[in-house]
Amino acid sequence: MKRRPVSLAVRLTVSIGAVITVVLLTFGWIIERSINNHFIQQDVDELNAVLQALKHTVATLPDGSRAEDVRAMFASAVSGHHNAQYRISTPAGSVVYATPGSNLARFAKISQPVDQISVDTVSIWKDLNETYRGAVIRVPADGRAGLERLTIAVGTGIDFHLHYLESFRNYLRVITAAACLIAIFLTWLAVHQGHAPIRRISRQIGRIKSDQLHIRLFPDAVPVELAELARSFNQMLDRLEDVFRRLSDFSGDIAHELRTPITNIKTQTEVALSQARSVEQYREILYSNLEEYDRMAKMVGDMLFLAQADNKLLKPELVAIDLEAEVRMLFDYFGAWAEEREVALEVSGGPVSTLGDRLMIRRALSNLLSNAIRHTPSGETVLVQLEKMAAHAPSTVKVLIQNPGPAIPSEHLPRIFERFYRPDASRQRSGEGAGLGLAIAKSIIEAHGGTITVSSNDAATAFEILFPGHN
Amino acid sequence: MKLLVVEDEVKTGDYLRQGLLESGFVVDLARTGLDGHHLALTGSYDLIILDVMLPDVDGWRIMQSLRDAKSQTPVLFLTARDSVEDRVKGLELGADDYLVKPFAFAELLARVRTLLRRGAVPAASDQLQVADLVLDIPRRRAERKGTRITLTNKEFALLELLVRRQGEVLPRSLIASQVWDMNFDSDTNVIDVAIRRLRAKIDDEYEPKLIHTVRGMGYMLDVTDSTPSQ
Repeated sequence: MKRRPVSLAVRLTVSIGAVITVVLLTFGWIIERSINNHFIQQDVDELNAVLQALKHTVATLPDGSRAEDVRAMFASAVSGHHNAQYRISTPAGSVVYATPGSNLARFAKISQPVDQISVDTVSIWKDLNETYRGAVIRVPADGRAGLERLTIAVGTGIDFHLHYLESFRNYLRVITAAACLIAIFLTWLAVHQGHAPIRRISRQIGRIKSDQLHIRLFPDAVPVELAELARSFNQMLDRLEDVFRRLSDFSGDIAHELRTPITNIKTQTEVALSQARSVEQYREILYSNLEEYDRMAKMVGDMLFLAQADNKLLKPELVAIDLEAEVRMLFDYFGAWAEEREVALEVSGGPVSTLGDRLMIRRALSNLLSNAIRHTPSGETVLVQLEKMAAHAPSTVKVLIQNPGPAIPSEHLPRIFERFYRPDASRQRSGEGAGLGLAIAKSIIEAHGGTITVSSNDAATAFEILFPGHN
Repeated sequence: MKLLVVEDEVKTGDYLRQGLLESGFVVDLARTGLDGHHLALTGSYDLIILDVMLPDVDGWRIMQSLRDAKSQTPVLFLTARDSVEDRVKGLELGADDYLVKPFAFAELLARVRTLLRRGAVPAASDQLQVADLVLDIPRRRAERKGTRITLTNKEFALLELLVRRQGEVLPRSLIASQVWDMNFDSDTNVIDVAIRRLRAKIDDEYEPKLIHTVRGMGYMLDVTDSTPSQ
């Protein structure tokens, strides 16, 4: 068995939840990055300010200054940057000045000097559990105060920033997780709410019982996405109602049609048994019964055939059929009967052929022909016209069976192919079958992918059959 | 001629047996599939009539066993379901013919006789004769009392059928099927008209009458004056 597809609510919740999570995480990452960049820029600005002050001091060192004076000048060179520290040394490594308590000795030794301080050139290092950001720069002193070149290392502690970033990151995690959970829950709630119209339609549908097939959904009363569903469901109900009505009519008709012969037989047998009769009389009754049985057996056979057609159980064995030959064969069969009724039979049109089940096609044509002959006044002609429809794209052949005679009233025409339907109520049961002949013909033709239509005017009645052609 | 009828429906079985007995056959009736299976395999029959819908061992099984045992006994099966699958299945299993219930007894009888005749070599005679009616098959000519009678092709075919099956009641459906190849019931009296025309040519002016109507069943050609229905 195939697994049931995942529920719509879960699908939507999972996908929307995933999107929200990704968006929130990206958002958090971007914020964190931008704060971090901001801190770096701040540090760089501070370092540059310190460096500028030191460079200025180097450039303005008075000649012949003593080492103590130089140290004092460097010590007072920078003000306002309490977080920054610096160390000035000669290329040989002797320290000219270092901020008291500073930790720059090792950094100055291992770090590569850079040309200028920028976001890209600063480096981070750790020393004695403190983290610093800083850079090393060489500055010419041009022999002032006896110094040729100086190496300046500047640095600033960034632990404060790092702590802030760390707590911000934690905060962000918690917020993101909570926001995701809330968003997913709200999504689920919204999806569930969004499905409410579906559940409502489902409840409406669930209330439709077989005796309430006239109930319809209102496509205008549901969200636009469900209107199509409501419409198709209504169309299905239309078809169901139609089939259901025809089925119940049909079974009603069956009961009615069978009741008459059964009543005949029953009454006749009861009357026959009510007193002793001669052998001749008994025989007469049995013969009469036999005729009724025959009629019922034929009706049951025809109804079974129609039931098979309804259930799409008719599986024509397709062979090429020369329709003209079939018609001539049927003329041969009906010839004597038609002659006795003084009805002439005529076929016109070239040889046309179709693919079909020979027995079924013959049965359909036979029903139509016998119907035509029966309704033709004496002295007239039943005309069968065969034609290959050249204009039709999939080749089509037309069989037109036309008989002169009184027009069939237009209100009867649409129902003429219905089972047990007899336009002329007075002609009922006058030995011309149960009114299933045309229904059977139609079933057969449709099982072959063909169509049959009827038209009638004062001059003649015509049945037009279209079969798929066969070359 | 000995027949085996396997039929679980009590009334149907009884009447099949009675009808066949009165038509001159020796009939064994098995009322269950098991009995039928046993009799079919052990007995010696000229033909087996088999209902396929049996409660215990169904007709298909019996037919299968018969064919497995290389039995050549012809089998005619009866089915209530007129589905193509059933027919195909039966014929594939080696049945020789089938009838769909409800069927006319005359039809069954005609089919039984056809199947029984199948084995026998038909007399390859060019001439058939009943009383003073003579048919010349190759030249398709009919004569009565020495007078040539002009018949259409179909009239001759109809007469030939009746003569060849002299003494048998032929149902209308069988006549339609054999002469016109119409294998379904028509709600017209086409066959009656054809018979009436044939009668006008070969019977009206002659004695004894040869073609007899068997009411409710069909037509029969025979020389006897006492026909079942008159």
